[in-house]
Amino acid sequence: MELTLDRLTREFGPKIAVDRVSATLAPGVYGLLGANGAGKTTLMRMVCGVLRPTSGEVRYDGAPVERMGDAYRALLGYLPQDFGYYPEFTALDFMEYMAALKGIGGRDARDRSLALLDRVGLAGEERRRVRTFSGGMRQRLGIAQAVLNDPEVLVLDEPTAGLDPKERVRFRNLIAGFAQDKIVLLSTHIVSDVEYIADEILMMRAGSVVLSGAPAELVAEARGRVWEATVPAARAEELEARLCASNMRYLDGDRALVRYVSDEPQVVGSVPAEPTLEDLYLYVFRDAGPAARPCERRGAHLKEERHG
Amino acid sequence: MARLILFELKKMLTRRVALVANLGVAVFLVGIMTLNVVQARTTDASGKIVSGTDAIAQTRLEAGAHAGAITSERAAADIAAYQERLFSRIDREAVLEMTGSAVYDLMFQSFSDEEVYELYNPYWSMLLRPWRVSGEEPAQTAARVTPDMAADWYGAVAGLTQDALDDGQAGMWEYSHAERAYWTDKQAGVAEPIEYGYVGGWENIISCAAFLVFAILAVCVTLAPTFSFEYQSGADAVVLATRRGRSALVAAKVVAALAYATAYFALCAAVIVGFSLAFYGADGFGLSVQSIELSSPYPLTAGQAALISVGLMYVACLGFACLTLAVSSRARSTLAVFLTDVVLVLLTGLVPSGGIGVLERALALFPLNFANFSMLFSALDSYPLGPVVLDLIGMVAVAYVLLSLVSMPVAALSFRRHQVV
Repeated sequence: MELTLDRLTREFGPKIAVDRVSATLAPGVYGLLGANGAGKTTLMRMVCGVLRPTSGEVRYDGAPVERMGDAYRALLGYLPQDFGYYPEFTALDFMEYMAALKGIGGRDARDRSLALLDRVGLAGEERRRVRTFSGGMRQRLGIAQAVLNDPEVLVLDEPTAGLDPKERVRFRNLIAGFAQDKIVLLSTHIVSDVEYIADEILMMRAGSVVLSGAPAELVAEARGRVWEATVPAARAEELEARLCASNMRYLDGDRALVRYVSDEPQVVGSVPAEPTLEDLYLYVFRDAGPAARPCERRGAHLKEERHG
Repeated sequence: MARLILFELKKMLTRRVALVANLGVAVFLVGIMTLNVVQARTTDASGKIVSGTDAIAQTRLEAGAHAGAITSERAAADIAAYQERLFSRIDREAVLEMTGSAVYDLMFQSFSDEEVYELYNPYWSMLLRPWRVSGEEPAQTAARVTPDMAADWYGAVAGLTQDALDDGQAGMWEYSHAERAYWTDKQAGVAEPIEYGYVGGWENIISCAAFLVFAILAVCVTLAPTFSFEYQSGADAVVLATRRGRSALVAAKVVAALAYATAYFALCAAVIVGFSLAFYGADGFGLSVQSIELSSPYPLTAGQAALISVGLMYVACLGFACLTLAVSSRARSTLAVFLTDVVLVLLTGLVPSGGIGVLERALALFPLNFANFSMLFSALDSYPLGPVVLDLIGMVAVAYVLLSLVSMPVAALSFRRHQVV
């Protein structure tokens, strides 16, 4: 089982959304990290065959997926970023509808739907209309429909967007449970979502994969580039604006502890700190444009803001 | 596939807007048909206005009084008898010099109310129709008809078609030789003798068929989101990534749409046909369509004409259903889809042709314009397409079948090729 992305490119007019992305994915969980506009969603849409690449192709076990058509889609589970639903459908209606679309027949469709709804914590909510669900419930319904056909390739685009921290943890555990012997491609701009469950991380920036590898290997890349300094509280805001700060904690005695990423220490008295994946993420995106500069947004998640 | 179709139907019919539109139009049709019965009005022999079912019974009685086959001999004899009754009390020469209203007054001065009532029976107007000049009273027409003219009643009826062809729709359309031959042949096919009698139920169906545009609109409202809602809601990404999302789903959507359109149209048509036949009567199915309008060149019965009217509305309904699917498959906005339908279904009924024959023929293809007896069965609207001539009935059928055949693949292909961006 192998999914190959071969120089996948997608242009929208003069803008290149995805630029010659190549990767070979074997069973495992792949975390696709990148800021808003990095091209994650476009890449995932191409992987799922709902968006045609401008050039390049996706192959499954050597066969171009465009030629495989329905046969490829039969192996696919997809939870898009803005998961559309039918307001008047109940959760069970929706699951059975998706089952019909995935070619799962009658009794089997109902049994699988009920089992999956139970597994994602929606037991007892089968007869409730989807429009009355909270964001977290909808996302859980989304993951349930994505795995309904026991897919070999599971693509999850920002599955934790809009979820509160508790739901995010629950969701991560769910995905980890479903990921056995599957190729799981999971995109997010929230580092902690993939830090614990991804076998490999692909970092995207401006349409290209700029870094990839196992989380521990990647974190090692940031070693010697993460610093902590204790400064007077009055300087904290100025430093936060100037540096690529990953954390700012005010201490007693009018002091603040600033954690930042940089090739060289920028503040007198800085000491090296143990890097995390988030530090690496900030390091990679430290000179990106405003929309993709998490270090200048005080750690705010743009899509979380958008989703309220 | 069957399950997908059922889910598509559920999607369509559970939307609040669709529910309101479907229920609203059905209730509206029941209401309007109730009014159609309640507000039927006529006068009885004593001059009293009667309404509702009494009026319908009165009309049935009037037509029934002269029911039967109108042979050439009967036409001549009846005209002679009519003239004798009239001109035994009023001066034949004098009425020719009088205005219509003066003759009307004279009738009441010369005859009792019951006699006038009988002399104004629609049967006499029909018999004298071949020679009638616009604005004339039956007595004035009768005064001009000679026994020789009356003896060739069927020749005079055929002459109505020739007069209409010569008139060219008041100068708006110059009929080609092929068109003249087409209409002449069609009129020659009208069976003799004409079977005259009461056809109220079937005539009412034809008169009310235009109300079915509301059913078409309800169908359009229901089908407008079929594809566009998938795009709008983001569900397209989910469904198109499934095994059957680009194949069976498209077919299921189209089948569900057409099945729903057919069922809903049948329901609305049943209201119109049901009310008409229940209250106006189902008798007269086999009587000539000329019982409704003598100048009609169609060799049809009244029942057949009614079925054609409803049938054409059904074909138009399917055409608009398919068009709605096609537009929906290419537009993200459901409102834009619906507005396209409103413009084509309703607003085309308000566009004047300005005496331009080509425009009149183009506008005649839209439901609000063709859904009446005059346009379909007596206006002689023809479409010369090379060596072939089609009448309005044929052209409407061809136009909407073509529209369906073109729109369906457009809808299917657009959705199949849809890119989620």
